[in-house]
Amino acid sequence: MNTRRIQDMITQNAIYIVLVVLIIGIAIYDPSFIGINALRDVLNQSATRTIIALGVAFILITGGTDLSAGRMVGLTAVISASMLQIQDYPRRFFPGLVELPVFVPILLAIAVGFLFGMINGLIVSKFKVPPFIATLGTMVIIYGVNSLYFDMDPNQSQPIGGLRADFTQWGSGSIGSGQYSIPYIVIIAIVVSVLVWVIFNKTRLGKNMYAIGGNEQAAKVSGINVSRNLIWIYSIAGALYGLAGVLEAARTGGATNNYGNMYELDAIAACVVGGVSTTGGIGTVPGVLTGVLIFTVINYGLTFIGVSPNWQLIIKGIIIVAAVAFDMRKYAAKK
Amino acid sequence: MKKLSMVVLATTVLGAALAGCSSSGGSGSSAEPSVGVAIYKFDDTFMTGVRNSIEKNANGIAKTEIVDSQNSQPTQNDKVDLFLTKSTKALIINPVDRTAAGVIIDKAKAKDTPVVFLNREPLPEDMKKWEKVYYVGAKAEESGTLEGGLVVDYWKAHPEADKNKDGVLQYVMLKGEQGHQDAELRTKYSIQAVEEAGIKVEKLAEDNANWDRVKGQEKMAAFLAAHGDKIEAVFANNDDMALGAIEALKAAGYFKGDKYVPVVGVDATAPALQALGDGTLLGTVLNDANNQGKAAIKLASLLGQGKEITKDSVGFDVTDKQYIWIPYKKITKENMKDAQ
Repeated sequence: MNTRRIQDMITQNAIYIVLVVLIIGIAIYDPSFIGINALRDVLNQSATRTIIALGVAFILITGGTDLSAGRMVGLTAVISASMLQIQDYPRRFFPGLVELPVFVPILLAIAVGFLFGMINGLIVSKFKVPPFIATLGTMVIIYGVNSLYFDMDPNQSQPIGGLRADFTQWGSGSIGSGQYSIPYIVIIAIVVSVLVWVIFNKTRLGKNMYAIGGNEQAAKVSGINVSRNLIWIYSIAGALYGLAGVLEAARTGGATNNYGNMYELDAIAACVVGGVSTTGGIGTVPGVLTGVLIFTVINYGLTFIGVSPNWQLIIKGIIIVAAVAFDMRKYAAKK
Repeated sequence: MKKLSMVVLATTVLGAALAGCSSSGGSGSSAEPSVGVAIYKFDDTFMTGVRNSIEKNANGIAKTEIVDSQNSQPTQNDKVDLFLTKSTKALIINPVDRTAAGVIIDKAKAKDTPVVFLNREPLPEDMKKWEKVYYVGAKAEESGTLEGGLVVDYWKAHPEADKNKDGVLQYVMLKGEQGHQDAELRTKYSIQAVEEAGIKVEKLAEDNANWDRVKGQEKMAAFLAAHGDKIEAVFANNDDMALGAIEALKAAGYFKGDKYVPVVGVDATAPALQALGDGTLLGTVLNDANNQGKAAIKLASLLGQGKEITKDSVGFDVTDKQYIWIPYKKITKENMKDAQ
């Protein structure tokens, strides 16, 4: 009985074990990895990825998928950056634009994300287009929209730079100073995680989301308005991508239409490694956070100890496939 | 037990991978400063040449760690944070997006780590932020001027190049990534050089092929479908696109018998030299990867040791205290060896 319990514990907590093993492995190779600076870098680099991954998690749990996430990040990065340049910057996107309060473009970008998310939701729920295809379409459309906007006179596809300090501080500033500072984006990611946890666990929308992902027909029969719930879920996910786009622009102090390219795949990978089932109905916020952290630790830690980028790709791929294979066994065993 | 063994197995594989494949940075003497190098993306042919040169020339003067920014500025910023956390003595940054240099300079300045920007020039106002910021690169307009010159030489030596005998050079242009400074300047100055040589030009088509060989081929095929034999010259902002165009031209029956159209590129990459030898590519312009890499690592090594930067210490001319300009060179079949 005892060994069985240990086995169960390992099965249930496999992803946390993988994370710890990774960190220990890297630390053995180079002990200077363990330290506040590296920890802060890892959290910093996980922040926007967490927000995107949580958005994608919403949709994966309903049994869908979202390929448009990365391009939405790019669109909203460009929108927010285009309206937040310093007044005397030589190449302004809107030369005559007055200095807007910093939250106006931010909210606008999030609203654009929400809107495109809603469009995804409508296409999936009303026209019954499979989510993979629907979001493949909107992915391309959003990139086109972004490129059109980015190519407008007088910008003509020049990278947008010269962002205002009161905006970029949200991406690069922190509370406290020196060793013991916490970057704002980490705090934002934590707040978003808590909010998403509340939606998942304490609201009707969250319960409906799991129900739809578990068995859409059953959900419908039991009186859930599936379309309405799906539209809300896709819209919320879109708003999260919008926020992530804003933070990417703030973090790098610029934006181009290529921002966010392929982020959706990183996000989906982080979700599945974090135990979100691609067939729907299963997934938790702590799982997603761990999934994101595993990938950041791989990205950061393996670069830290000098593993060649080509090997990093191979290791990442192995972890994705292994995690899902392991997951499948877990649920197969249950049944 | 099976599940347990799976976890153990996965862990062992991972551990072995970690231990086995770390790139040998080499444990040089402590006198060699550590230099963090971030390249905009590893699968760019030209930057791979620069990267190889950095590695080669670092031998004995610096310990380098070279990372891939995967054509994403946020990723590059992450790598910069990593280097600064590891307290490397100097940075060589090949920016993904030149306007993002400002943020990188701020980060580096806060840690008093000198930065050498490579190949993509930061805005002048960003360069002025700190005196320990340098730029190594080539003047893009010069590559355009030389590229135009290749076509001028051909046009003047070959009267039959004017296929429709109207005295006007009909051309198509394959541009690099939209908004890339080199793409804009090469496009402008190559044609300007032709016009300044007294040749009238007519643009039949111009499109973006993103520096990419496959896209170059696709766009050229489309140009051929639209304009066919009216095209009298093909300008490409780089060799990869020129080589793509050559593939499309071959498919349309060019380079067999006397069916010919001059194609010019920039970079003098190894595949381009091959094409020069084959007689398909008329000429290219050498963007001197070797010297760019050499100048960058030499500069970073000196900066990392806190030494003074002069023409004598670096071995290259330093302009305005912050810039090292590496000149371009015209390459044709005759002087191919200079580029190898």
